[in-house]
Amino acid sequence: MEKRASEWRLLVEDPWLVSLVTWLPPLLFVMIYAIFSQGMARNLPVGVVDLDHSTLSRTLIRYYDASPTITLAQNYPDALAGIKAMRGGEIYGLLIIPADTEKNAVLGRPPSIEAFYNSQFLLIGKQVKTAILQAHETALAKIDTLKHLGAHAPVMGQALARAVPVGIQATPLFNSNTNYAQFLVSAVIPALWQIFIVMTTVLSMATELRRDGLAGWLKDRPVRALVEKLAPYGLLFWLHGLVFLLTMVFVLGWPLHGNLVFLIFCQLITVIACQCAGALIFFLFRDAARGVGFAAAYCAPGLAFMGVTFPATDMTFLARVWRSLMPISHYMDIQIAQVNYGAVPMLSLPQVGYLVLFILPGLAACILAVRISRTRFGAEVAV
Amino acid sequence: MSFFQLFKAEVGAVFTNIALLLTVFGGVLFYSFLYPLPYVTQVPREQQVVVVNLDDSLLARRLVRMVDATPQVQIHSEAPSLAQARERLIEKKLAGILVVPENFYRDLLLGRQPTLAFAGDASYFLVFGTVLEGMGAAGMTLAAEIKVTQLLMSGQALALAQEQYSAITLGLHAMFNETQGYVNYVIPAVFVLILHQTLIMGMGILGGSENEQQKEGKTGHWQTASPAALLLARTLIFMIIYTLLSLYYYGPAYVYYDIPRLAAMGDLALLNLVFLLPVSFLGICLGAVLPRRELATLIVLLSSMPLVFACGFVWPISAIPAPINILMQLIPAVPAIKAFILLNQMGADFRQIFPQVVHLTILTAVYGLAAFLLLTRRKNCFAM
Repeated sequence: MEKRASEWRLLVEDPWLVSLVTWLPPLLFVMIYAIFSQGMARNLPVGVVDLDHSTLSRTLIRYYDASPTITLAQNYPDALAGIKAMRGGEIYGLLIIPADTEKNAVLGRPPSIEAFYNSQFLLIGKQVKTAILQAHETALAKIDTLKHLGAHAPVMGQALARAVPVGIQATPLFNSNTNYAQFLVSAVIPALWQIFIVMTTVLSMATELRRDGLAGWLKDRPVRALVEKLAPYGLLFWLHGLVFLLTMVFVLGWPLHGNLVFLIFCQLITVIACQCAGALIFFLFRDAARGVGFAAAYCAPGLAFMGVTFPATDMTFLARVWRSLMPISHYMDIQIAQVNYGAVPMLSLPQVGYLVLFILPGLAACILAVRISRTRFGAEVAV
Repeated sequence: MSFFQLFKAEVGAVFTNIALLLTVFGGVLFYSFLYPLPYVTQVPREQQVVVVNLDDSLLARRLVRMVDATPQVQIHSEAPSLAQARERLIEKKLAGILVVPENFYRDLLLGRQPTLAFAGDASYFLVFGTVLEGMGAAGMTLAAEIKVTQLLMSGQALALAQEQYSAITLGLHAMFNETQGYVNYVIPAVFVLILHQTLIMGMGILGGSENEQQKEGKTGHWQTASPAALLLARTLIFMIIYTLLSLYYYGPAYVYYDIPRLAAMGDLALLNLVFLLPVSFLGICLGAVLPRRELATLIVLLSSMPLVFACGFVWPISAIPAPINILMQLIPAVPAIKAFILLNQMGADFRQIFPQVVHLTILTAVYGLAAFLLLTRRKNCFAM
């Protein structure tokens, strides 16, 4: 009990550690949420080159402009000027309506409208592309329907069917309004969470190194010293995870279809797994700067490897190996299964198993700690 | 101490600091392999979909085969009911469910519009979009074929019918990243960020190490050198190192990952110079105030994620709240990432990135002055 009290005092004395376990994680979590809080992109600027200047071209432009995702921000006199604006990043898309569009349409020679979207900014570009496609189909169906109504198909429904013979209805499952905030934030925050846990683990041990060396800290009960060191941090980070999860579900109203208690339990083993990885990193280097540097290299790309932005099934073998070395990848699989799918916890057992395997780096850290305390070797290294 | 001696001492300090060398050289090299690693396949392919075919007509089966034939989608299996399909989706982690409605064929013949339903796992955006693209392509082809048949039945000639299946066609073209590859999307931005972050870390570690040594009562050239000379020597060394590292990134690394390199050499070099200066100064500022060297790595690492998402290549700036946008303008990476992408990936000419260049120049002045003042203050502290 006495030792634990001193751990708290040690923590409170270091303002950096205090920030890491108190206000800094929530602040960054809120910031990430704020960035994506709009959920969907709106009014992305798209340029128009109207070479036809006809009633039809203006009708089409009106239909395109009606899309909430894009706004036809600028008219360019020719394609060259439009492309230049695309290159300069002023517009995310460009519509080119060629000359004689109306004339060709009337004569029964289907004219073609060329649309460009910026796929360098992939996520934004895809939204522009979808918006243009939808707007075009809507415009087409309306124009085509009018034509058919005038001719020989008297019923509105049938006229519409003639215009678009097969309709496709896409239903996004598990994220019903295809909300980017929900998609990205629910993955970015766990990735940040892992960074906080691993870094704090390394830094908290570095405090001991600075104070009176590893041997002075570990003394003759290295494992106990290690556990007592990590337990309070573990609880605090579990609390952070809990606050994030509950905020997501109860304040932001994102769906939770699965078992909350199971998920909270998995958060605990994720925290422990991250701490085990962090502890091993520290004992491998036994140096604050190199330990922190390696920990940074290890967990910084957590989001990229998580498999949410880019599917894990399409990653190469090497990438999947690196992915499985990070606890947060397994946690994320569980979170998606619980929050989105509402799967039974049994289905997530393999991931729980992987997380439990992180006990191994923890054991390795313990072995290193025992060796240091036995040989009093830490005192030399600390210098 | 002459400037040459100071420069030599600084070179010595940099190349004996193992934490710094690991971060700068190790970090830049290691990340150039690690970051593109998850994305090397560029685009997701052959996403597995389960089919619920409630029609089972010839045409419906043909449609399923057409969907299977697209590069984006692969039919995993058929399920007898929607409930079973859903179960299989969760269990086998499939990408979605395709439902061919009852009476699909009959409705088509009768001229009613049947609706193909696709339910995809939107927890994974890229997968959802990919499957939708494949399904859309197959659906459109089938729709076109049907329309041509309808036109033929209503007495049109085949050639005319094929042309007239759609009143106005839309040619959609991806620009700049034609294959919509993920490496081409993420890496140009992330590499600039890596150079930015490791440079600040390196400077921070160097300054932090000195502050640690000062606390232990050790002495060094940094205590006696004039702040202006120190600033100049340090910036010069890091500029040389990072110009070489940039050459590796924008050269062999981009060639290896086959990322477009549209910028003229001179333009790129000029932008790189304007970029590295404020970053170096910002790093020196951080190094002057941090009591311990590992804190530089910590701060820089924690700032990475907000930076990636707020700098405009993932999420449009116009959709980000103004207070965050204003804050982000203080970080050189934000204008720099935009400028590098415009210049090198999108082929903008130098005049078009002028606003970003001015922005970086202002940051250079601000952080240069701040670095000078902080180094002066630190020197005065040493003297006491």
